[in-house]
Amino acid sequence: MSAYLLQAEDVTIQGEGVTIAPFSCALKAGSRLTLLGETGSGKSLLAQAIMGTLPRGLSARGRLVIDGETFDAADDKSRRALWGRRLALLPQEPWHALDPTMRAVAQVAESHRHVAGRDRRAALQAAWADLTELGLAEAGGKLPGELSGGMAQWVAFAAASAGGAPIVIADEPTKGLDAPRRDAVVELLARTPESGGVLLTITHDIDVARRLGGEVVILRQGQVIERGAAQQVLTYPQSEYGQELLNAEPSRWPRPAPLGETTQAPVVTATDLAKTRGGRELFRELSLTVRPGEIVGVVGPSGCGKSTLGDMLLGVTRADGGKIQRTSGHPLGFQKLYQDPPAAFSPHWQLSRLLDDLVRRHRLDRSAIPPLMARLGLNEHLLERRPGEISGGELQRFAILRVLLLEPCFLFADEPTSRLDPITQRRTLALLVELARERHCGVMLVSHDPALIEHTCDRRIVLGDEQVSAAGQALYPAPELV
Amino acid sequence: MNGSTLTPSRRLALPTLNGRQRLGATLLALLLAFAWLVPWLFEADPARQQLTRILQLPTLAEPLGTDHLGRSLLARLASAVRLSLGMALLSVASAAVPGVILGVIAGWRGGWLDRVLGSMADAFLALPGLLLVLLLVAIAPGNFWALYVGISLVLWIEYFRVVRARTRVLVASPQLEASRLLGFGPLYLFRRHLWPELAPQVLTLAAFGAASAILAMAALGFVSVGLRPPTAELGLMMIELLPYYHEAPWAMAQPILVLFVLVLSLNLLAGRDPR
Amino acid sequence: MSENQAARATSRWASRWTSHRTTGLGGLLLQRLFQAGLVAWVVGTLTFVLTRSLPGDMAYRIAAGRYGHDMVNTTAAEAVRAELALDQPALGAYFGWLWDLIQLDLGRSLVSGEPVVAELWHQLGHSLGLAALAVLLSLLLGPPLGLLAGLKPNGMLDRVSEVAASVLRALPPFAVGLILILIFSVTLGWLPAAGHGRSAHGVLPALTLALALAAISSRVARNAMADVSQSAYYAFSRTKGLGERLSFLRHGLRNAAVPVVAYLGVQFVYLIEGVVVVETLFAWPGIGHALVHAIVARDVPMIQGTALVMGLMFVALNTVVDLLCHWLDPRRRSA
Repeated sequence: MSAYLLQAEDVTIQGEGVTIAPFSCALKAGSRLTLLGETGSGKSLLAQAIMGTLPRGLSARGRLVIDGETFDAADDKSRRALWGRRLALLPQEPWHALDPTMRAVAQVAESHRHVAGRDRRAALQAAWADLTELGLAEAGGKLPGELSGGMAQWVAFAAASAGGAPIVIADEPTKGLDAPRRDAVVELLARTPESGGVLLTITHDIDVARRLGGEVVILRQGQVIERGAAQQVLTYPQSEYGQELLNAEPSRWPRPAPLGETTQAPVVTATDLAKTRGGRELFRELSLTVRPGEIVGVVGPSGCGKSTLGDMLLGVTRADGGKIQRTSGHPLGFQKLYQDPPAAFSPHWQLSRLLDDLVRRHRLDRSAIPPLMARLGLNEHLLERRPGEISGGELQRFAILRVLLLEPCFLFADEPTSRLDPITQRRTLALLVELARERHCGVMLVSHDPALIEHTCDRRIVLGDEQVSAAGQALYPAPELV
Repeated sequence: MNGSTLTPSRRLALPTLNGRQRLGATLLALLLAFAWLVPWLFEADPARQQLTRILQLPTLAEPLGTDHLGRSLLARLASAVRLSLGMALLSVASAAVPGVILGVIAGWRGGWLDRVLGSMADAFLALPGLLLVLLLVAIAPGNFWALYVGISLVLWIEYFRVVRARTRVLVASPQLEASRLLGFGPLYLFRRHLWPELAPQVLTLAAFGAASAILAMAALGFVSVGLRPPTAELGLMMIELLPYYHEAPWAMAQPILVLFVLVLSLNLLAGRDPR
Repeated sequence: MSENQAARATSRWASRWTSHRTTGLGGLLLQRLFQAGLVAWVVGTLTFVLTRSLPGDMAYRIAAGRYGHDMVNTTAAEAVRAELALDQPALGAYFGWLWDLIQLDLGRSLVSGEPVVAELWHQLGHSLGLAALAVLLSLLLGPPLGLLAGLKPNGMLDRVSEVAASVLRALPPFAVGLILILIFSVTLGWLPAAGHGRSAHGVLPALTLALALAAISSRVARNAMADVSQSAYYAFSRTKGLGERLSFLRHGLRNAAVPVVAYLGVQFVYLIEGVVVVETLFAWPGIGHALVHAIVARDVPMIQGTALVMGLMFVALNTVVDLLCHWLDPRRRSA
């Protein structure tokens, strides 16, 4: 018998332009391994190779030893008997992983019944017990469409682990969750190794990797860049890429140069704003100003009305009460950057065509374009592509180019980098701040990451039930800034 | 997912045809050529009876043989295809144009206008289409225009509903909001954002609609409540030739085959059903 | 990749449902009731226009048709004129016509002289029998084939059934019926071509309708199953250890059934249209056959009666589909 619960020896994946270099690991009971990397690094493929769920066209090679039994990685079907019993997979996007037409408790109970082999009544009791333990007793009778993203993750966890599998693989378990929910998921995941199992986590979030501890492997384009104890690797990375990745963490960003005293009139002033949505009060008596060149951050949990606030300042959404005063003489001066860059473009036209439309519509100066493109690091030849054919980071920089051509005085950036990889995120935001300062454009930046706001903005606004209803006014300057 | 960061979407305003659609287009082109070239090359009158030469097998002079009244089947089939395609084109055009325009208006404006137009469409949908056409045809039996009005009235709803639903989603989308903030007007928004999304669906509906129009006309002809003899119409030809199946099975098979190829070509051209 | 496609597919269905979501079951039934009223109004109005557009000597011709050419006289023609209210001003006559309709007073057939309701009652039995047999046959043929094809998209079965469905969809029901007659009655002599009375008479018309319906439902089932089998929740069901068979039974079948049943509503349009043509072709004494005869004979009360019954049958069938969807899909119930 091997001392290891999960061993992978020289696992490689090949096909359709993807190559994953040989990967090995050996995990004892109670250990945890985290694969950290950007989109396209191949981290999810490794998990799929272990499970035997690689997409068609990709094939794995190598040897796997799971709980003492040896498998050939090339034979996907060989691990199916282990699913749920020895190997549990926590899916990406749990919302889509739950059957939309079946109630939550039934989805947990069926694992107890058909995987763990309990009878119908015992399975149902066990399912309710699981949900109650996770604090989800009231969610049991609901359909997945009625659950929040965090609740769906819990239900999926209960359903996947009902069979008592000692090896848990979690594929991007915190994707799309805000900070408090993310921490709670991390705690939940930590239970597996604490009770003598093995946890293999795939994530792009350095903070999650740090909290999970154990061993960390940094992957890039299918290659292992660095590996070691989380404490070591995530504090003093040896590789250049590891350092770059770590420096891309918002908490390590240098703070922007202070804006300094400015006597210029605010570009937008809001007084006593109120908004109710779906019978729930988002905020009341909210007042704020944004001055030229100032970066104002907005943070708060999902659904607290961050986007709505920005849209109201732009004039896209109406406020229920209060007054908004925009600086005059700038009819096109109020612009927006979107969370999902491809969604903000018509996918059918070349970028050059879209740019041309804009120049013609407003008789803009064409000579301003090449230097600005160079500043934004956009290559000339990208203009021949369509929006779907360039990367998200490039497209977001193109969106910045598009709005800057109109010389805006106020820019509402609605989580503009949340879909981008950390390194790209850092570059993009740094450029945005620099250009906004230079062109005296006030920016309202929304993010769910408090650290990012703290290290990017001059001031911040915290939205959320408690602050607003208790304090009435949620505006206060960040501690060490003016 | 992880494999690719680029998702190519090479879609032009006019969709590029896939293999199946190309087959459909080829078949349709062949039928069109047949229908319009025959009157040029052969001086055959679809209505001329020659009672001495009934139900003849194909010969050099009559490449498809003759029917029970000695009429040239070649001339009759060509005439029937012209009639079917003409009716289909006419009714599709007069259904698509108002359907798309009203759909865009209803989806874009919303509010009471949307509700009024929506209930109008629902009223037409209350009855199965063919029933509505039958009732209209009953008012003016054997009349081409009654048939045309009936078919168009049934067809416009599809365009309206599909276009309205798609427009409603697009108008609320970030891409439209972004272009609006950038100062573009409604005409630009339609041209750059709406039409490229709508065009493939409208073309698909048009091909399906043409097929439905052709089938409806043939069905009515077949049950003797559509166009009247001696018009050469596919459904009518089938029912006329049915009693002579034993003597002339090849004659009976011809209108069936032509109708089949006609509808098949349009169905293939349509691609996947957007409903 | 496939995950995104599945997500898009589910959201497409979800968006279709949300329009229903706001209404709930009571609202849904109310909508159908309103539709039934609309059917009656459209049919009533069109047939009223029909009476007004009859040529001047129509009363004579109808009377001749009813009583025989020798018996026609001015009194008989006047009786017909009064029956159709041809002697009254248009607007008053229109409301009178609709009022009769509301009271279900459909009058007497101009051809046979029998009350329309009695004739309809008789014909409805035949049509319903035919329709039920056709739907049953199509459900046995289409969805099972589609589900099997959808489990292995682009497999052998999928390709073959796709070609078969394309061919059937390009053939109108009457052409399919003709071909079936030519094969089974004329050439093989196994089944009677037309008429009714023995159960064998129902086989060919029902099969004709069923083939047309199955051609569509098999493809709908195939697409639904392909969407489900590529969905994240289907994958999760397998990885959590349920295995192929249980995943299919517990998560595949119901989720794939929802669009198939929802699409039945659309299919009933084909069914009603098919009934008109197929009954005529096979001389099946149902509503569709009667409608065509009434139109040829310009028997206005019968046209109104038959069109009304067919329209209402369409609404009733759609109501059944609504109820089925409601039962299958808990998302609707909890709304």
